[in-house]
Amino acid sequence: MPSTDTVQLFVTCLIDSFFPDIGQSIVHVLNRAGLRVEFPAAQTCCGQPAFNAGLRSQARPLAEHTIRVFEKTGGDIIIPSGSCGAMLRKGYLELFKDDPGWLARAQSLASRVYELTEYLVDVRGITDLGSRWPGKLTYHPSCHLLRSLGIDRQPRLLLSQVREAEIVELPDRLDCCGFGGVFSVEHPELSAEFLKRKISALERTASPSLVVCDTGCLMHIQGGLKRRGKNQQVLHIAQVLEAR
Amino acid sequence: MSAKSLRARIRHSLADQTLQAALDGNAERRTTGRLKAFSTIPDYQERRKRAHAVKADVIAHLDEYLSRFINQATRNGFRVHRAADAKEAIRIFLQITQAHEARLVAKSKSMVSEELNFNHALEPAGIQVVETDLGEYIVQLRGERPSHILTPAVHLTRAQVGQLFHEKLGTPYTEDIPTMVATARRVLRQVFLTADIGVTGANFGVAETGTICLVTNEGNGRMVTTLPPVHVALMGIERLVPSMDDLALFLSLLPRSGTGQKLSSYTSLINSPKRLEDAYGPKERHLILVDNGRNAMRNSSLAEALSCIRCGACLNACPVFREIGGHAYVGEDGSIAPYPGPIGSVVSPGLFGCENFGQLSQASSLCGACQEACPVDIALPELLLRIRAGENPRNGRKMDEGVGLPAAVKFGLRAFRLAAASPLLFEAGQRMGGFFSRMVSPRKKYLHLPAWTGWGYSKDFPRLESAPFRARWKGMEQDIRPAVRQDREMEHPQAAVVPASPALADRFMEELQGIGAITCRLPEKDLPARLAKLLQERGIERVAVDDIGEKYVSGVQSVRIPDPTIWAGITGVLVGIAESGSLVLVSGEARPLTASLLPDIHIAIVRASDLVLTLAEALARPEIRAASASVIITGPSRTGDIEMALAIGVHGPKELHVFLID
Repeated sequence: MPSTDTVQLFVTCLIDSFFPDIGQSIVHVLNRAGLRVEFPAAQTCCGQPAFNAGLRSQARPLAEHTIRVFEKTGGDIIIPSGSCGAMLRKGYLELFKDDPGWLARAQSLASRVYELTEYLVDVRGITDLGSRWPGKLTYHPSCHLLRSLGIDRQPRLLLSQVREAEIVELPDRLDCCGFGGVFSVEHPELSAEFLKRKISALERTASPSLVVCDTGCLMHIQGGLKRRGKNQQVLHIAQVLEAR
Repeated sequence: MSAKSLRARIRHSLADQTLQAALDGNAERRTTGRLKAFSTIPDYQERRKRAHAVKADVIAHLDEYLSRFINQATRNGFRVHRAADAKEAIRIFLQITQAHEARLVAKSKSMVSEELNFNHALEPAGIQVVETDLGEYIVQLRGERPSHILTPAVHLTRAQVGQLFHEKLGTPYTEDIPTMVATARRVLRQVFLTADIGVTGANFGVAETGTICLVTNEGNGRMVTTLPPVHVALMGIERLVPSMDDLALFLSLLPRSGTGQKLSSYTSLINSPKRLEDAYGPKERHLILVDNGRNAMRNSSLAEALSCIRCGACLNACPVFREIGGHAYVGEDGSIAPYPGPIGSVVSPGLFGCENFGQLSQASSLCGACQEACPVDIALPELLLRIRAGENPRNGRKMDEGVGLPAAVKFGLRAFRLAAASPLLFEAGQRMGGFFSRMVSPRKKYLHLPAWTGWGYSKDFPRLESAPFRARWKGMEQDIRPAVRQDREMEHPQAAVVPASPALADRFMEELQGIGAITCRLPEKDLPARLAKLLQERGIERVAVDDIGEKYVSGVQSVRIPDPTIWAGITGVLVGIAESGSLVLVSGEARPLTASLLPDIHIAIVRASDLVLTLAEALARPEIRAASASVIITGPSRTGDIEMALAIGVHGPKELHVFLID
C-alpha cells in the first residue's frame, strides 16, 4: 500500500502526447513537495473532448476506463489541468447521473481528485518551493480552473513566492482564450477573435512569459503566438515552480 | 452552407466594424456597471444562492404556485387566460380586441411577445401594434428583431437611427440623441393617449398576492398600464415568485444585473383594474399565461433554465455574444432565435426545438462567464452540454448525440475514442503521430496547419512528441525532499468594511442626487412658498396633483384628471426607500398615478418619518397589496437605447424634484 505521501499522477493526454517535458516538471515539483509520484501506465484520456462535444456515448468508455485504472490505486490523484480536473470532479457525475452503480464509483474517484496547485496549497500547505524565475511573469486563469473548480488564489500564491519573479497583472485576465476544446476547431473565426484579444492583452503587459495551469490554453495561445511570429512563451505553472 | 447559416452569420458580424464597436461598448459598460452595482450589496453571493433556491422551488412546484397566483389574481379582478402555445395566445388576444373593437395597441417590451411573433400575427386582423420602448420602436421601424433582450437596438449607431427617423417619421436628419428621444416622446405620446389596449410583459408574478411586477426605465411600461382603457399582460408561466419578500430579493438582483442600477426608474406593481375609488386606471386587466413549451422544458433536464429572470447579464458577459450580437443566433432554417446569447442558446432550443436551434449550443467555448454573471446562478455551461448530448424537451425524444457538431469533428472524436480506449493503441498512436509530425516539420515544434482544419485558421499546432510522457516515465528518477508545511496567513481579502449607515434622510438624499433628482430638505411650513417659487420660475400655471400635492399648492390651477397639456405634477409618496433613493406611490382615491407620469416635471413630497431603509421594508407595507396599482420611482425617466448613451425623459418626467419635509 502506498503511504499517504504517495500521489497518483493523471498527467492528461495533452501533456502526455505533446508536452512530456511539462509532465517531468510536474513530477519534480511534486517530489520537491515531499511526495512520491506514481503514474498508472494504463491511463489515457479522461473523455472530456467527446463529453464537451456532446458525444456522451464516446466519452463514457474513456471515463469508465479512467475510473477503473485509478480505482486500482490508492491515495490522492493529482491532475495538472483545471478542465480535466473539472471533468473528473463534475463531468463524470453528470455523465453517470442515470447510472447509480457507476455514479457511486465516479463520486468516490472525484473525492480523491485535486488540481496540482490546489493540492500543493490547500492540502499540503505548501506555497514556497524554493523556485526562482528572474523576470516578468503574467498569469492567465483558465476558465474551467477558475469558474468550475474555483481555483485562483492557489496558483497566484505559489507564483507570488517565486524568487526574482515580477508578477504583472494580465489585463482582462478573466476573458477566455478561445480554446474551448472542439470549439477551437468548430468555430475558428470566434476562437480567433478571443485569441487575438488574449494575445493583445499579453503584449500590453510586456511580459515575455505567460503562465497557465491548463495545457489546452497553453497550446492554443502558444500556437497563436507562433503563427504571428511572436517570441513570448506560454508556460505551465509547473515549469516555473520547478525552476531554481 | 447557406448564406443564412450560423457560420455565415458569425462571419458577417465579425466583418461589421460598426457592430463590433457597439458590442464592445455594450460588454464593457454593462460589465463595469454590474460589478459596481453589486459592490453595494456585500451579501450578493448569498442572495444569488437564495434566488437560485427560490426559483428551483417555484419550478419544481409550478402547478401549485400557478394555481395560487391565478386564484389570487382572479380575486383581485384580473381576467386570467391560459395559452398552451403561441397560436392560442394570439387567439385569446384577438378575442379581447374584438370585444373592445380595438385597432391600436400600445405595447411595452415583452420577450414573450417575441416568441409569439405577436406584432406580425395581429397584422391580418387589421390591428396595429406600436412598440413603445425606444429600442423596440427603432427595431420595429426597421422591420428587425431585437438584437439584445434589454437593449434591442444595441447593434445600431446614432447615425443609423437618425436616418431611420428621417425616413420613417419625416423629421430632419440629426445625430443628436436628445433630439431623437424628443421625437420619439412626441410621436409615442399620441399612441399612449389614443391606444385602445396597452400590452406588456411581466417581469414577475407574485403568487401570494396575485401581483404582477413590471420594470422599465423609460416610463412606457407605466403609460401602457395606466392610460389605455384595457391592459393585457403576456406572461410566461414560469415568471413567478412566491411572496413579496422574494420579489424584494429579485428586484435587488434584476436591475443591478441588467443595467447596473439599484432599481430601474419605474417598478410597477399591479394588482387589479381600476376600482371605484381610484382616480384613474384601466377598467379591464387581462393576464395571458403562456406555456409555449415551458411545461415540456420543466420536465426535462433543461428545467433549470426556466429560472431565468431575463436580465441580459449573461449576454453582456459572453465573449461569443460580444463578437456576434443577437442577430447571429440563428437556427438551421436561418431564422433568428427569439432568445439570443448564452441563455438563448438553452431556452431557444429548449422551447422551440433542438432540431432547429440545437446548433446554438455549440457556439460556446464553455468558459462559464455566463453562469458567473447570472444573478440566479443558472448552470448554463452544463445545460449547453445537455443540449449537445441530444436532450430535446419539445417532443421528449432524444436527438442523436453531438447536436450541431460537424461530421468531421464527430468522426475525429470517434476515432480518438477507439484509440484511447486501449493504452497500447493509445501509445502506438502517440508514437505514430510523433513520427509523422516530425517528418512534416523536422525543425519547428509548431506546425503551420491550413485554415480549413479550423485550428489552422489562426494558430499553429504543436508537434506530437515521438517519446510521450509515458515512455519517459519509465526512466525517471524521483528525488523526494522532506517537505515542511508552510501554512501561512493566507492573503485573505479583508472582510468588506460596511460603512456605518448614515441617517436615513442623508442616505435617501444622497442616493436621489446620484440618480439625477433635484432635492431639498425643509420644514413643512416652508413648503408652500418653495413650491410656489419653483412653479413661478418655470412659468407653470396649471399642475396635476394628488390629495397631498393639493394641500401645498396655491395660486395655480390644480387638476386631478390626466391632462397631457400640464407641465408639472405634484404628489405625495407612501414611503421613501433610502438605500436606492426610491419613491413609492400607490393609486387610490384622489391619487392618480398619472400625476407622476404625464407631466415633464414630477415634484414629490416626502415626509422624513415615511422613510425606510430597504426595498423589502417598503414592499411589506399593506397599502401596496391593497392598492390596484403602485409604482416605485427611482429617478427621472431614462433610456440608453441609442448607443447606450444616457438620455433623460423618454416617456415619463424629465425632471424629478424631491422635497423632504420634517
